[in-house]
Amino acid sequence: MAESQSSERSESENGEEGMEVREVCANGLCMKTTEVEAKLDEGNIQEAESSLREGLSLNFEEARALLGRLEYQRGNVEGALRVFDGIDLQAAIQRLQPLAEKQLSKKGRSRSESVHTISQHAASLVLEAIYLKAKSLQKLGRLAEAAPECKSVLDAVEKIFLHGIPDALVDNKLQDTVSHAVELLPELWKQAGCYHEAMSAYRRALLSQWNLENDCCARIQKGFAVFLLYSGVEAGPPSLAVQIDGSYVPRNNLEEAILLLMILMRKFYLGKIKWDPSVMEHLTFALSLCSQTSVLAKQIEEVIPGVFHRVERWNTMAFCYSAAGENKVALTLLRKSLHNHEKPDDLTSLLLAAKICSEDALLAAEGVGYAQRAIANALGVTEHLKGVGLRMLGLCLGKQAKVSSSDFERSRLQSEALKSLDGAAALECNNSDLIFELGVQYAEHRNLNLALRYAKQFIDATGGSILRGWRLLALVLSAQQRFSEAEVVTDAALDETAKWEQGPLLRMKAKLKIAQSLPMDAIETYRHLLALVQAQRKSFGPYRGLPQIDDDKVNEFEVWHGLANLYSSLSHWKDAEICLEKARALFEYSAETLHTEGIICEGRGQLPEALAAYINALLLEPGYVPCKILIGAVLTKMGSKALPVSRSLLSDALRIEPTNRMAWYYLGLVHRDDGRIGDAVDCFQAASMLEESDPIETFSSNF
Amino acid sequence: MYMEATLDPPTPSTLSEPTTPTSHEDLESLKKAQTAIQALSPILSHSLPPSLSSARNPAFSLLHHPDVASQITTLLHHPDSGAGDNPLCRWLYDTFQSSDPGLQLVVLRFLPTLAGIYLSRVALRKPLAGFEAVILALYAHETASRGGQAATVNIPDLSHSSIYHETTKSTSKNASTELNLAVISPSLEPHGTVRSTRRARIIGVALELYFSKISQMPVSSKIEFCEFCVVWAGQDGDVYRDDDDVEIKREKEEERESGGGRIPLPWELLQPVLRILGHCLMGPCINKEEDKRVKDVACGACRSLYARAMHDRRPNPPNQATLTMPSTPAANAQIPGDPTRDQGWLGHRPERFLILASA
Repeated sequence: MAESQSSERSESENGEEGMEVREVCANGLCMKTTEVEAKLDEGNIQEAESSLREGLSLNFEEARALLGRLEYQRGNVEGALRVFDGIDLQAAIQRLQPLAEKQLSKKGRSRSESVHTISQHAASLVLEAIYLKAKSLQKLGRLAEAAPECKSVLDAVEKIFLHGIPDALVDNKLQDTVSHAVELLPELWKQAGCYHEAMSAYRRALLSQWNLENDCCARIQKGFAVFLLYSGVEAGPPSLAVQIDGSYVPRNNLEEAILLLMILMRKFYLGKIKWDPSVMEHLTFALSLCSQTSVLAKQIEEVIPGVFHRVERWNTMAFCYSAAGENKVALTLLRKSLHNHEKPDDLTSLLLAAKICSEDALLAAEGVGYAQRAIANALGVTEHLKGVGLRMLGLCLGKQAKVSSSDFERSRLQSEALKSLDGAAALECNNSDLIFELGVQYAEHRNLNLALRYAKQFIDATGGSILRGWRLLALVLSAQQRFSEAEVVTDAALDETAKWEQGPLLRMKAKLKIAQSLPMDAIETYRHLLALVQAQRKSFGPYRGLPQIDDDKVNEFEVWHGLANLYSSLSHWKDAEICLEKARALFEYSAETLHTEGIICEGRGQLPEALAAYINALLLEPGYVPCKILIGAVLTKMGSKALPVSRSLLSDALRIEPTNRMAWYYLGLVHRDDGRIGDAVDCFQAASMLEESDPIETFSSNF
Repeated sequence: MYMEATLDPPTPSTLSEPTTPTSHEDLESLKKAQTAIQALSPILSHSLPPSLSSARNPAFSLLHHPDVASQITTLLHHPDSGAGDNPLCRWLYDTFQSSDPGLQLVVLRFLPTLAGIYLSRVALRKPLAGFEAVILALYAHETASRGGQAATVNIPDLSHSSIYHETTKSTSKNASTELNLAVISPSLEPHGTVRSTRRARIIGVALELYFSKISQMPVSSKIEFCEFCVVWAGQDGDVYRDDDDVEIKREKEEERESGGGRIPLPWELLQPVLRILGHCLMGPCINKEEDKRVKDVACGACRSLYARAMHDRRPNPPNQATLTMPSTPAANAQIPGDPTRDQGWLGHRPERFLILASA
């Protein structure tokens, strides 16, 4: 069609140039826009069209395309659609195709220049008409019709330019139309509710060569990532055609979304696109869903300076690292952001810092400071967090009490801890975690009645859904020497757990059996545990070593070690040694195995070997209380010269574990042998009182 | 008494309608849907409109029928609704077991309400066997369709080229070996009963199934879900509102007085909840008006969960995840026109929101 008009085409139209002289130009000719518009207003499309054809020497389709655009630009969408409906656009595209072929065959010749331009102008006009038709349909809400129209633009471009759009030759107008259509198509499918078509439109936009600008491409990538993340429709893997050997192919929505968002982040670092905070936010959401906060922390670290405020960056990274279990790194970052010159009163980071400190006895004192600052700053909008601050304070104080150097200090800290937790409970009576923590604190304080009440309350509040609630209840009952009830609770808990989580419960059950002098039942329980270990080894094959799964595992070492202890308490030295050997095969150097080894030697009357084993255990773990006590006990048998050493070891053990009844008992022996009968009586009394409230496992080691 | 209307559906006319493609499977599913509708009729207090079973796609009509939905929801709220012999629970169970995809969607549509009431009632020691049967059926379905396998994600590493980008340096090593593997849903064990420590996981898996079909769910179902999130969080999120809409606050206060509902939110439950909320807030929008309703209530749910997360700092959590709830005023200022920003996770908040959730 265009060849018949040999005249060269200038800029086809210039609508924006001033209100006074709005003109339609084509083929070097111009017409006043108002003249054409007047005809359109009369509703006479044909007349307007023929005047354009005459005035600008255009063919039918081109004239219609121009008219349609005029109507569209005037905002008369329905009118535009009427005009576009009159054109057989598909036929026009058909006619454009031979040109594209010619264009290729004449490649390199000087004469082909004009053919290029002509074909491109014609193509540009027709394609734009289809694009505008799709836009008009969209504006009228006829999305199901709009999307196929828009798609036909892309199909046509692919047909006309078989080998992609030539970079240098293409005219801007055409490229604009193509880019717009590429970007519009997925939107249209999305709005029409055709999600699978939208997915393939996005992939087509991103995986074919459309010569898109960086910004446009980034918009599409972000749109696709958002769609993948939130649409709830699984896209399925991309077609094999686009998969290049050795390159990463996402297999599901999350992978594809994360990949696209990471690429967007990189484009920003390279200065190709402007910073868009929502990209980081979507990436945060996606990575958090996968519990990959350490990857997220790296992404935040990579963000170039000037985007985030440094404190904001430190805090976010601290959260990420803390969630990934790297509390030390998190705390270092928080110390920076909570420094006097930064944001020392930021409540969220104060609470996180206090929480991290509450998990480590050596940091607990620092945590107390953070918690107190948090409480002081919980004002106004954040007043509801005062309870959290009090809770953190209580936890830090409780932890601090464990390393305090004097009895006086310890009891002061303990009672303050309980006071803080009670204060928190008054503010947040329905917080089940807090109820649990109160239970543990009271249990450690050997206030068993209150501990029991809180343990029961916790199980009620959580519907028995949390394992540690059951364990706390059983431990408290065992401390009250109500072993059979503790066993009932353990059995109930076993009923409520799937087999992989039964390890700790079975271990407790075995110890309960031992406490009730039922060693054969205990051995049976341990056998059960070993069967569980075996089964576990088989079924967790492929994902072994993933931290998310390791949590639940039964600890095989613990099982063998427990059995070794059991056999040695029964003086079955041979069996004990076999079990110990198994334990040692799993974990060669541990204070626990050396401890048991010492007991076996001692039982066989090999005192020096026993002593050597105990001392080795202390060398491995200087704070290992059971061996301190046993060395002390052995030394009491070695005559009066050893008594002072024994006394200091036992006192040291009591400093670490003030509620250890064995330590009190042997200290009593030392005092007696040294002739301090009064002190001895006190110690024995303490030991006997503690025996009445001794749990089968220490409270603190469990939670 | 309502049987007549449904026992006499104008089946011949619907079946002979020329527009209905009547393959054997279509007929089969039509029959199943009509049976389900017949069975539902005596359970509901108001009669079902006869148009339901005569519809061309009865399962679809059932899914989107507002009156039926509100009747069933009301029945689910009834104090004895969770009992083992509850006819509605039986109907939901049977309908899901019909293994007709359209009918399964109808059952899933009620999962938010069912799970919501179930979890909130656990601590109250009410009979729940009926609810549990339905939830276990959903869990078993998801377990079977996944083959019990864990769902994993390979975290991409940009140093390897991908279908969307190329790297300059050529890495000869096998790309997949170096990737960071994350488990987003661990492998599924078969469960014949709801053990209390597995409850959150079973519901979580049912919610994963719900999320995979969420684009087909009616708006009312999503709204019910968001409303239950607020109940589960048990925490007032209004302190994180930026507007002070007095009326809403008053409503909220009344709600809160009605009491309870707060439940433990381990990660295995919270993660699918957040995915669903993500859809409600940022998912594609078709109907603006409905969309706004969902977004508003989802924003409220996010605020409550955020407030809850601020209170939930459990010491020594075995497995945590942080979640940013995006939105900064600066961000809003930069791209004011972007609709997703204005509806951001929590509205305009002066800091990045991080949810600290423990599993």
